[in-house]
Amino acid sequence: MKHSFLDRYSDLDSPVHRIDPRARLIAAFSAIVIIVSEPHGRLLPFAFYGIIILFMTAMTRIPPGFILKRCLAVSPFIIIAAVSYPLSVPGAGVVENGYLLTEGVRSGLTIFLKAFFALVLLILLTSTGKFHRLLAGFRKLGMPRLLGVISALMYRYVFILHDELLRTSRARDSRTPGAIRTSRVRVYGNQAAMIFIRSLERSQVVYNSMLSRGFAGEFPDMDKLRVRAGDVLPAGFFILLLLTVRIISQPLTERLFN
Amino acid sequence: MIYICFNINPPMHISDGIIDTNICIAANVAAIGLVWVAGRKTPPGDVPKMGMTAAALFVASLIHFPLAGTSVHLGLFGVAGIILGKRAFPAVFAALLFQSLVFQHGGLVTLGVNSINMGAGALFAWLVWRIRRVNERVRAFLAGMLGVAVPVLLMVAEFRLSGYGSRILYLLGVYLLVAILEGFITLAAAGLFRRVRPEMLD
Repeated sequence: MKHSFLDRYSDLDSPVHRIDPRARLIAAFSAIVIIVSEPHGRLLPFAFYGIIILFMTAMTRIPPGFILKRCLAVSPFIIIAAVSYPLSVPGAGVVENGYLLTEGVRSGLTIFLKAFFALVLLILLTSTGKFHRLLAGFRKLGMPRLLGVISALMYRYVFILHDELLRTSRARDSRTPGAIRTSRVRVYGNQAAMIFIRSLERSQVVYNSMLSRGFAGEFPDMDKLRVRAGDVLPAGFFILLLLTVRIISQPLTERLFN
Repeated sequence: MIYICFNINPPMHISDGIIDTNICIAANVAAIGLVWVAGRKTPPGDVPKMGMTAAALFVASLIHFPLAGTSVHLGLFGVAGIILGKRAFPAVFAALLFQSLVFQHGGLVTLGVNSINMGAGALFAWLVWRIRRVNERVRAFLAGMLGVAVPVLLMVAEFRLSGYGSRILYLLGVYLLVAILEGFITLAAAGLFRRVRPEMLD
């Protein structure tokens, strides 16, 4: 059972790792909203965002290679969106009077940068603390109770089901080697169904044992979360910094380029 | 275009920064509302089933089906709709929260948009599944297909609302093939449920 895929590098020690998950969550969410709400076509503010995020990344001591590899896995979607924007919007041509950096291309670039920075912030959020503490942070911030219980259950069983996936995949591959045939669709369907059936059977057993141990509909949080000034101040400073860039970038761009 | 899209695994979950922020915020509010509506009066015994199905949904989406020299990962929102009915929505939301946090498939601010897209797929699958007069195999196939087709239609609408041009509609062609594939996968899955655990289907 390997579970480091959930929160690798969460046990590093850095100033960011020590911040309360709720503060990190709010900071990451606000930062992403600030960055993605930037209008299309202005590139200057992204230079500042880039510097701030780079500085943050360095502070967390998470290897940049890890972050980039993660980003690469999701990049097809981002690249399709960023490329298709200038290509699909009428009038937003790729080349205009011999210039490549047209309105459309700049818009595509901002889409790419927004998505990339949001991705890095999301990776930093999950890699700078234990995953279950992050979930506890969500619950404390008022996530609906039902979702809280579902995600707590998921956290406990996703590893076991992942093992189930590896086992069923091994069984599948050893029984249907070789070329792709249409009959394989059925094999894959059966595998998916098997995972659902086994998960359901297990959930019944788990639920019975939970009831017999006095489960009353809510998981107790083992480690108490406490918000201190040391959590609020850096998170607030980070949000304020990005907000400042967001606000001053428009007049600054106008002054520099017009 | 179609070949390129296939070669890089058709993306289903929208990342942050791709579509309009106002749409994202509105969708987050709507998604939380839907979680509340769909999860209201859940019998306590159903909660573990929802948690497990969410975990299974998360894990099953890691199954890659080889197709045209590349691979397509399964969504299985149709299967979730068949098993959980309207309670699939909170499970889909939780599964997407995990996918967003763990693999960054889909963003944090776009979580609402993605869960409405995929959750709608599961809900439509459930609606089709409830038409008992139709042959079960046909229902299963349609449920699986809608589990992909409905999210894609919503996705195209969101892209259009965010200012993308009409050529984004090309995506539809690519996803139609994926939807048919999911239809067959769901058909096989429902067949196995019928043979092994028929109570899951009723």
